[in-house]
Amino acid sequence: MSRFDSFTSDVVIVGAGLAGERAAIEAASQGLDVILLSLVPPRRSHSSAAQGGMQASLGNSAMGEGDSADVHFADTVKGSDWGCDQDVARLFAETAPVAVRQMAFWGVPWNRVVAGKRMYDGKEIQEDAEKEGLIAARNFGGTAKWRTCYTADGTGHTLLYTMDSVVIKLGITVHDRTEVLSLIHDGIRCSGVVARCLRTGKLRVYTAKSTVIATGGYGRVYGASTNAIINEGSGMFVALETGKVPLGNMEAVQFHPTGIVPSWILITEGARGDGGYLLDKDHHRFMPDYEPNKKELASRDVVSRRIMQHIRKGYGVESPYGAHVWLDIRHLGAKHINTNLREIANISRNFTGIDPIHDLIPVRPTQHYSMGGIRTHIDGMAYGLEGLFALGEAACWDLHGFNRLGGNSLAETVVAGMIVGDKIANYTKEASLHVSSSLIEDHVKFQEDRIDAFIHQRNGKENVYQLRREMERILSEHVGIFRSEEALTKAVGQLHELHQRSHHVGLRSGGQGGDPELASALRITGMIRLAYCIAAGALARQESRGSHFREDYPKRDDGKWLKRTLAYWPVGAGEPVLEYEPVKITELPPGDRGYGEASTQAVKAKS
Amino acid sequence: MQLQRTLTRSRKADLMTELVQTVSGLLLVGFLWTHMLFVGSILLGVEAFNRLAQFMEQFRLLDVAVVFIILTAGAHVAAVFRRIPGRWQEQKIVWKHAKTIKHADTWSWLFQAVTGSAMLVLIIIHVFIVVYAGINAKLSADRVHSWMLGFYIVLLLLAEYHASVGLYRALVKWGVVKRKSLKKVLTFITVCTIGLGLVSLWLFLSLGDSV
Amino acid sequence: MNPRQLTFHILRYNPDTPKQAPTMQTFELQEEMGMTLFIALNKIREEQDPSLKFDFVCRAGICGSCGMLINGRPTLACRTLTKDLPRDISLMPLPVFKLLGDLSVDTGTWFRDVSLRTEAWIHTEKVFEPKAQEERMDNETALNIYEVERCIECGCCIGGCATANIKPDFIGAAGVNRVSRFMIDPRDERDEQQYFDVVGSEDGIFGCIGLMACDDNCPIGIPLQGQLAYVRRKMAVAGWKR
Repeated sequence: MSRFDSFTSDVVIVGAGLAGERAAIEAASQGLDVILLSLVPPRRSHSSAAQGGMQASLGNSAMGEGDSADVHFADTVKGSDWGCDQDVARLFAETAPVAVRQMAFWGVPWNRVVAGKRMYDGKEIQEDAEKEGLIAARNFGGTAKWRTCYTADGTGHTLLYTMDSVVIKLGITVHDRTEVLSLIHDGIRCSGVVARCLRTGKLRVYTAKSTVIATGGYGRVYGASTNAIINEGSGMFVALETGKVPLGNMEAVQFHPTGIVPSWILITEGARGDGGYLLDKDHHRFMPDYEPNKKELASRDVVSRRIMQHIRKGYGVESPYGAHVWLDIRHLGAKHINTNLREIANISRNFTGIDPIHDLIPVRPTQHYSMGGIRTHIDGMAYGLEGLFALGEAACWDLHGFNRLGGNSLAETVVAGMIVGDKIANYTKEASLHVSSSLIEDHVKFQEDRIDAFIHQRNGKENVYQLRREMERILSEHVGIFRSEEALTKAVGQLHELHQRSHHVGLRSGGQGGDPELASALRITGMIRLAYCIAAGALARQESRGSHFREDYPKRDDGKWLKRTLAYWPVGAGEPVLEYEPVKITELPPGDRGYGEASTQAVKAKS
Repeated sequence: MQLQRTLTRSRKADLMTELVQTVSGLLLVGFLWTHMLFVGSILLGVEAFNRLAQFMEQFRLLDVAVVFIILTAGAHVAAVFRRIPGRWQEQKIVWKHAKTIKHADTWSWLFQAVTGSAMLVLIIIHVFIVVYAGINAKLSADRVHSWMLGFYIVLLLLAEYHASVGLYRALVKWGVVKRKSLKKVLTFITVCTIGLGLVSLWLFLSLGDSV
Repeated sequence: MNPRQLTFHILRYNPDTPKQAPTMQTFELQEEMGMTLFIALNKIREEQDPSLKFDFVCRAGICGSCGMLINGRPTLACRTLTKDLPRDISLMPLPVFKLLGDLSVDTGTWFRDVSLRTEAWIHTEKVFEPKAQEERMDNETALNIYEVERCIECGCCIGGCATANIKPDFIGAAGVNRVSRFMIDPRDERDEQQYFDVVGSEDGIFGCIGLMACDDNCPIGIPLQGQLAYVRRKMAVAGWKR
């Protein structure tokens, strides 16, 4: 029996969530041979968990009237606190409506406009009869117009199932339960991946003209995260570990205002979009005190900070899991809660035993999204290695800068899948596969040695699970919503030590076959490296921007910091090397970051 | 698609078998309940019972009924036979499955299959006796007044259970029904018909004493 | 109140050693407040047996990865609270699907195969026009599609189905339900005869014997009984007309 199985294709895509699948569809429909690799069956991907919606400026709903790609662009740039790439944001905003319509064409049952009057937050809304049956939109934080298209409370689910149905229809090869261990590269060009079959434990080699990373976020490096447990950032760290590819803006970590306490499952923004309130321990609705206009629907980073600020003032509700606030949707009524917000109702009932029709839901800001990731050009090709692409949450395409708007992540996956998928196809058609067997052999040998060392405890007996808990604790304690030099220095020091310890992991399970402990051991060093990049980037960035908030530098500093962090990890190094590049400003110069109302005015002023 | 399947495409057969099973089942339930009402005429007295029997013989309704029951039951048996796990391993799987998931409607199906198989034997005997001996109150009374009392009680319970569960399943599979309320209604009807049957048997038993 | 000491009886099986019959292994664990089986199983793996295999992804009842037999009942482990269970808890993998080890089964491959066999995608002759406005749809229709589309393919309806347990080709409630999603979707141009070819057989709707364990065990409450009956009636009419 051979030591490893080999597969060759035109394109190998790591990650079969929305971004990976959409790119696969694009490449496959242009006649290319595509293999999709996934940790789990594609329909289990974390994309399915996005409940809220997908932003696109269709402007069909009454409250979205007058919306356009311009307004969407402006919202996105402002939301990012001018950290995003404006060319990317422009391209994205222009393409999003097409993406939504294409998903409708493929089968997504978007909610549609129903003509007539209804009440929302004390105001009357009159839906236009002429728009009846067109794709509707709901309200989401940080947007000037109602722009978030949705299917009840399961937007991610319907998008993913529809996308996957197209993948199945096109007969695209999917290898699920496969985990990537490293990128095969010679320092110039990427030629595929070494992976491990999680069913049998056998190593596999996938060679391809183009290699695409679409593995989503790294939320699980934080203990309390809304992310699925598979979101361990493997795509990001295998790119980082090449020493050639930088990760962009890793310190930009989004905390969702409403993770449910204590399971940290996400309560979607839809709850607030549909008119839910945040209450403190005295049942006082406190958001209007801080944000009189947007109230609960200010940008996520703003709401998260306001909640923590309010808790710090002593208005939090004490619990064994730390202080929290309440989310109140009782006034929306049983019918609305049981249909439009059913998922929220189910989560409350099943995971905390609370019925949101009668009770308040305990919530607290929770790690949710990584704006940072594999830094790519606008065509999706990664910095540093030819033939390597990245998209979706795994990438720093840089659509989100320092804060992502709700509804822009689902939109990014599909839109980037369309755009980058096309670029991948174009690149691949011209490219040829040159990879020496000795290069492959070296990469496989390297992984075999690692595995052997773990199994035989050659380098030590460190417990992988203990290291994980340590890493989670360090990030949660020191690299949270409010950051400071002191805490970040501590975090960097502790992560440095933890990184060293991770080289001495030894297994207790024997590591045979598809052993889960071995899988964890193979990831731990890479995960700690991601954590290290986050902490180091945050420590270096002496300003506050978007979700990155430094108590010792509370102001945005465009003079010094209108730039993007690039974190490299040279092969064999014990710590990351930080470099910076300027942020491209094309249309919208940095200004005061307003929410919603302000961006409409900006567009009006421009035109 | 394999060659043998492309050459013998008859996808309608599965539907037809299903329809035969359902329709014959419904007819048999109807027959059983009518039958029980007729037997129950003994409650109105020996006279009434005998007159009904004579009426049926006179217009050859008994023969019609016998032919009907043989054909319908035959069709039903033929159609449902495919549902009974044929291989020994399948039998083991199904029983183990029912024990594991502890699901009432799964158990009731197993009982349905068991009662159905048992009834097949009992009904053949029952029909044979009726055809051979004919119907009148005295004959019935004599039979009930012997070891055959047990036979009739068993047959009554099996038939009513099987009919009730079968009807329930047919309605659940085809109709727009609330299962809980349907169960209640059917349990009520079944208890009534079993009660009627038992009272009839008791009357025949006391007749057997007196005649 | 003193925390309970829980006893887990977990099925252990390693496909690499097929000659070794599956055994039930016992683990003791102290109950904690708000403990779900997700928390409990991870604790057992991290503290007692790192080789224990099981699948969780979203741990929020959305992705459908963690279907298993909990005290015999097929349901999602991530949203099962230990406080709702007795002190003795038996955990077995879902039947029907290929056993990958311990509590882990290959639902992905099974569902992909069913999707392929039932051609579970929108069939249309139309070509997408990027510049055109979307086709209109009644919101009621959209919601009806969504109601059925909510299936997360966890496999609880399949593992709990006696028919699926003995008939390898039966597509089960999830398969029929998926097809019904396309039947009610006006964008899918298939006619009833084409649907009949897909589900009008013993492997499809006419293989169902109406045990309704699917309807009783669906963790997300899809009205499977109604969907199955709807497809059955529709397919009976279609079949009758052939």
